[in-house]
Amino acid sequence: MSDQTIAAGERAVTRSRTRPEANRDENLLEVEDLSVSFVRRGAQPVRAVDGVSFVVRPGQIVGIVGESGSGKSVTSLAVMGLLPQRGVVASGQIRYRGQDLLTLGAKKLSDLRGREIAMVFQDPMSSLNPVIPIGTQVTEVLLRHFDVSRGEARAEAEHLLRRVGIPDPGRRLKEYPHQLSGGMRQRALIAIALACKPALLICDEPTTALDVTIQAQVLELLKELVNDLDTAMVMITHDLGVVAGLCDFVNVMYAGRVVESAPRHELFAHPRHRYTEGLLASMPRLDHPRTEPLRPIRGTPRDIVSWTKACAFAPRCDHADEACMSPDLELVLDGPGEHRMRCVHPAPLASDVADDD
Amino acid sequence: MTEGADKVAGEPAKLLEVTGLEVHFPIRRGVVIDRTVGHVRAVDGVDLSVGRGQTFGLVGESGCGKSTLGRAILRLEQPTAGRVVFDGQDVASLKAEPLRRLRRRMQMVFQDPLSSLNPRQSVESLLTEPLRVHGLSAEDLQTYGKDSARAHAAKAAAMLEVVGLPGSSMSRYPHEFSGGQRQRVGIARAIVLNPDLVIADEPVSALDVSVQAQVINLLEDLQKLLGLTYLVIAHDLAVVRHISDTVGVMYLGRLAEVASSDDLYERPLHPYTIALMSAIPIPDPEIEDARERILLPGDLPSPANPPSGCRFHTRCPFRQPTRCHDEEPELREIPDLAAGRQVACHWASEIASGAVGVAEPELLVEPTSS
Ligand SMILES: Nc1ncnc2c1ncn2[C@@H]1O[C@H](COP(=O)(O)OP(=O)(O)OP(=O)(O)O)[C@@H](O)[C@H]1O
Ligand SMILES: Nc1ncnc2c1ncn2[C@@H]1O[C@H](COP(=O)(O)OP(=O)(O)OP(=O)(O)O)[C@@H](O)[C@H]1O
Ligand code: SF4
Ligand SMILES: [Mg+2]
Ligand SMILES: [Mg+2]
Repeated sequence: MSDQTIAAGERAVTRSRTRPEANRDENLLEVEDLSVSFVRRGAQPVRAVDGVSFVVRPGQIVGIVGESGSGKSVTSLAVMGLLPQRGVVASGQIRYRGQDLLTLGAKKLSDLRGREIAMVFQDPMSSLNPVIPIGTQVTEVLLRHFDVSRGEARAEAEHLLRRVGIPDPGRRLKEYPHQLSGGMRQRALIAIALACKPALLICDEPTTALDVTIQAQVLELLKELVNDLDTAMVMITHDLGVVAGLCDFVNVMYAGRVVESAPRHELFAHPRHRYTEGLLASMPRLDHPRTEPLRPIRGTPRDIVSWTKACAFAPRCDHADEACMSPDLELVLDGPGEHRMRCVHPAPLASDVADDD
Repeated sequence: MTEGADKVAGEPAKLLEVTGLEVHFPIRRGVVIDRTVGHVRAVDGVDLSVGRGQTFGLVGESGCGKSTLGRAILRLEQPTAGRVVFDGQDVASLKAEPLRRLRRRMQMVFQDPLSSLNPRQSVESLLTEPLRVHGLSAEDLQTYGKDSARAHAAKAAAMLEVVGLPGSSMSRYPHEFSGGQRQRVGIARAIVLNPDLVIADEPVSALDVSVQAQVINLLEDLQKLLGLTYLVIAHDLAVVRHISDTVGVMYLGRLAEVASSDDLYERPLHPYTIALMSAIPIPDPEIEDARERILLPGDLPSPANPPSGCRFHTRCPFRQPTRCHDEEPELREIPDLAAGRQVACHWASEIASGAVGVAEPELLVEPTSS
């Protein structure tokens, strides 16, 4: 980006920072066998997340992609301790610096939130307070977690809005969310999340309302945060181009479970699970003729069987057979690296592909 | 999407014609006495037209006025100036009742599904509400007999199926869905009346690419079947290329370039379009690690105080010492350069020929890969 680096923006905020040193080899976040179900009277429980495990280290960007409704946002809400109070059953562990967030008290959790763990939510309008000016919403975070004066907080807020590319930040501070465009709201949320320079940052579709040049600028800013401050980041997105350029490691979810996980080069060069393969093939591509019809995966996400009976993707898969009808297929290592998948008939490896790294 | 059949017979029949449209929001200061200290010129002189059965894609910088433009066309926002003519009728001149009848023919898919769907209404109620207000369309009356709660429910169920949501969703509330599921509820609600024009503001941004492909194919099928006309606002340039016949590129309240989808992507002419194209994320890590993008330097200008001359000149990598800063370029066709498309840049011909290049080479950067 420009010469303004994160470091230059530290200013008032660094003084009161007391945070353990980041160790790049240690897992900062370990999600283990996380399951979340929604129960409602008179209806079948919805198992939104079904045994998800992944880890994130400082300075690492872990992507989560996958089917709409596969449990990506619910997973991140669980990490934030923001699942609805009622009608939810969660099990498994979410360890942050070794302590389990699922069982941590509400007070401790809310201390961590904002100070060490921050999130950019998928629906900007619903996570901004409509009756409080944007500026106040940013300075609130700073005042709550740092020992700064109002003036300092205000200056920092203006600085943050400028960094995420909001024009005329001084004026914008006084504006209410409905006065901002969709993309400005999204950037305001990002500014709020960055305000405390979190050790763990979860971004749920943070750039859907941004044009590609501002998106590139915002992603560059996030990369700086990760590189310079060793922030650990979880990036949830449907934009496979963003994943390709940003994420170190990618988890692909389908129907509540991780069906494939791999380093980004590996995943794009050799997608193995048939869902991943189908996903990559449904993208509109700039290098294909414009009028070529798009090829979505056949069937709809409604066509699902329970993982306890078979591969949940089987009803939509062209390669499904008897072998796929076995219960609870495992996520197995594929090859010598860190590539894992949950598929009986994976896409063949093109052995002549030489660009593997 | 489809080749306009009406293109053949000379002047195409335009369903929507927008001329000189402006939407300015007052900036107010003061606690006791509200005084207006300026205006945000969200939309600042836009002309565009969309032929019946065609798709117009609208792209542009975040905050440049796309949603406001869409809302103003539907009169959800009061235009400050300009005209919107829908199917030959000047929308501003319509009284309440004819406007209401026109409304059913123009629908919008809103950018932020959660805030545009009433949280206290179940999906069934959300989908049947437009039918209760306006009644079934003529086509649907043939299918469903007459307007009744039962017919409305049946139509709602059909829409739910069309967007790929299970029947059990009917009794659920907006907050009980994932982002992409909600977006599909929004789409179902917009098409339940079989409108003529759909203004879709980021209709597929929250969908995974497979569901996205399904929804796009669906929108295209509906277009073929019912002759729908679309104005699609989106940031995903690959999606826009695929669905649009014509694409308009907006910058700071105005159109910078308008061209057929094929022409625009093959050869972007306006510097802003060139920069946009250079920044499209490509789903291939090898390409992403190696590519060059054009960075747009400097602060984003404020729409309350747009730059003089060319609005883009404060950030334009091709900016020239003359004209750019003091002469506003008109959106015009340059026959010698490219027929049938329009661009608002003084130097478009020179840039296209290579005679004018990126002024500061350091604006061409390779992204730092992590
Ligand atoms: N409060 C809730 N009550 C009941 N079901 C819910 C609730 N929130 C989410 N769900 C369901 O849980 C599942 C997972 O939702 P989630 O929001 O995690 O999906 P997602 O992967 O983020 O999808 P998207 O990409 O569309 O945002 C969905 O089937 C959704 O309908
Ligand atoms: N109700 C309002 N009051 C004051 N200003 C507004 C209002 N609505 C929009 N604006 C301003 O108008 C400009 C254009 O906003 P608009 O929402 O149309 O942008 P957009 O192109 O849709 O952006 P995005 O891609 O981020 O959604 C912005 O500067 C915005 O802050
Ligand atoms: S008129 Fe000048 S500043 Fe504007 S786009 Fe063209 S070259 Fe750039
Ligand atoms: Mg989500
Ligand atoms: Mg918008």
